[in-house]
Amino acid sequence: MATMSIDAPGDRSGPRMMRLYLTSGLGLAGVLMLAGLSMRMVQAGWLHLGTLDFYSLLTLHGAGMITALLLCGMGGIWYLVRRETPMNAALGYWTYGLILAGVVLVLIATMVGKFATAWTFLYPLPFVNPVWPWWSTGAFLIGIMLITAGWTVWSLQILEALLRTYGGLRGALAWDVVFHPAAFKASGRKAPPAQMLPALVISFDGLFMSSAGMLLGAALLVHWVDPTVPLDPLWAKNLTYFFGHDIANFIIYLLLAFVYVGLPRYTNREWKTSAVFAIGWWGTLLFLLIAYFHHLYMDFAQPVGVQYVGEFASYFSAIPVAVVTVYGGLLLVWRSGIRWSLGSIFMYAGMAGWIVGGVGGLLDSSVPFNVRFHNTLWVPAHFHNYLLGASLFFALGWVFHRVEERGGRSSIATRWLVGATVFGGAALFIASFYVAGAAGVPRRYSIEPDPGPLLARTGSIGAIVLLCGLIVALVEGLRLWRAGQRAGQRAGQRAGEPAERGSLR
Amino acid sequence: MQSRILVSYSVLAAAVLAVFLVVALASRGPVEAQAAVQARGYAIRRWWFLLLVAVFAVGFAVTIPFFPYGKAQAAGEPAHVPVTARQFSFDDLPGVIPLGAHVVFDVTAADVNHGFAVYDPHEALIGQVQAMPGYVNHLELTFDEPGQYTVRCLEYCGLGHPVMQAKFEVR
Ligand SMILES: [Cu+2]
Repeated sequence: MATMSIDAPGDRSGPRMMRLYLTSGLGLAGVLMLAGLSMRMVQAGWLHLGTLDFYSLLTLHGAGMITALLLCGMGGIWYLVRRETPMNAALGYWTYGLILAGVVLVLIATMVGKFATAWTFLYPLPFVNPVWPWWSTGAFLIGIMLITAGWTVWSLQILEALLRTYGGLRGALAWDVVFHPAAFKASGRKAPPAQMLPALVISFDGLFMSSAGMLLGAALLVHWVDPTVPLDPLWAKNLTYFFGHDIANFIIYLLLAFVYVGLPRYTNREWKTSAVFAIGWWGTLLFLLIAYFHHLYMDFAQPVGVQYVGEFASYFSAIPVAVVTVYGGLLLVWRSGIRWSLGSIFMYAGMAGWIVGGVGGLLDSSVPFNVRFHNTLWVPAHFHNYLLGASLFFALGWVFHRVEERGGRSSIATRWLVGATVFGGAALFIASFYVAGAAGVPRRYSIEPDPGPLLARTGSIGAIVLLCGLIVALVEGLRLWRAGQRAGQRAGQRAGEPAERGSLR
Repeated sequence: MQSRILVSYSVLAAAVLAVFLVVALASRGPVEAQAAVQARGYAIRRWWFLLLVAVFAVGFAVTIPFFPYGKAQAAGEPAHVPVTARQFSFDDLPGVIPLGAHVVFDVTAADVNHGFAVYDPHEALIGQVQAMPGYVNHLELTFDEPGQYTVRCLEYCGLGHPVMQAKFEVR
């Protein structure tokens, strides 16, 4: 197999940027998975950690995992947009630097300063009887704000590139594809490729989210410096979840762009920007911003009207996913003779994981059910389902897609081994959360009431199997990468032959 | 109720995985042109879309009567029980609540955000509300079953959070 790269010709900054973001993101995620496993083992009674150590680790795990997976998605989108249009690489590195500085501060605040408010840092918890030093609160808040600043720079750069390339918001949203299809076709203009829609929607919505995050951060910092300045806890909670829900939710949509690009190459089919596809993304653009109210159902002081909006938006945010993306993905695979390899398997499994997690999320976003599940382990169940069972799989699918391009495909035994351990382990791990949630076991407990400890043992076993599978996948990925390097060298020696470009079928 | 939701979830999840499996297995069969697959797929997609919209619209309408907000006003003469959550206890919670009582807990917090979640004698969560400083949230519950109930804090509130609980008896 010679080069079948889909990199833009002559572009080195795109692939480089993506490698930097993806390896950092996945590396950080790997380390934090060990932190997650140790917390589950504490709940199982298999490991002892002091309460302060447990909750500072929980704080790091939550904030860090979001950042890690976000990095994967940001680097991916940067690369995919760079394929379509010139972009300033220096800005991409500045973004990375801001986020890195933020991560370092969060690490110091939680691991040295033992800052332990969970990632939600709900006002006024950071300031009431803190057992951690004053400076660690500031370090954590500034760290989160630096990460958010990096996100803002990224959103602005992606948005600028897309608006410049596709003729403003109207072009980038594929408006004319929907409303003036004939005239659009006749004009000879290009619709944005499928993966540009998530890039646009997320960078656009991302600016609202980061404004909320910055406003909240600034308010909390003012209070940190001068505790006589009061804040309203309900106001702070709204900003916390508008910021936090969105940033966590964006990840899956960012990484989805990998599937839009990758899956067609395994099936040798096209994923086109149709009118229905564009409208689906307009729906996502709207619903992503207003669904966050479902985090405040149990705040009865919140105006009742927004509770209705929360449930409505949560339900209807599922429609674009279920009707456009995942349905489209299934159509792409149906009778396509898809080439099954670790890359395509991870992408395909990620779509299934997304829907399965979506069902769990939808149940929880129904107010009468939220009464029974709010702040129980049902909630970690559904977001681990999304982040681990979909986002991470999309990222891994893309990494394998990259190494398979030049390094070939894994043996059928390796595929079965990786699939069984990674998917089996993840399923057991996630199921332990769902069952515990249904049994009313609270989340964010260092020691759980029964049947929490029993289920934590099951979950720990699942997590260990999963981690073993990921190690096998890592070794296999490195093997394919080195095989690709060697193939690249051989191809270099035979320079002059036309490079083969095409699908991975 | 929780176990029924878990069963529904499991059935739906299994159905989703079954669809993915069928589509994956079909990829081993004869290869078809994308245009042919799309022509059929888009016809089905319209019905799938309408079905989902209908399910969500009906689901939305059906859940509204079960929203827990402002029910207290409609339901006659409840007894008000003020509760103040603080790190790491529930102040003023009575030790005994009479069987059959219709109670509105007026829940607030003295320091940080807490949760106020009531577990029945079988350890099932039957109702909850956030306890917030500066706000009073009204949680309405009727106690038709005797036994020992547990109240747990479900909002992370500091290092004592996992031991923040109280008990009362319904008799
Ligand atoms: Cu608490």
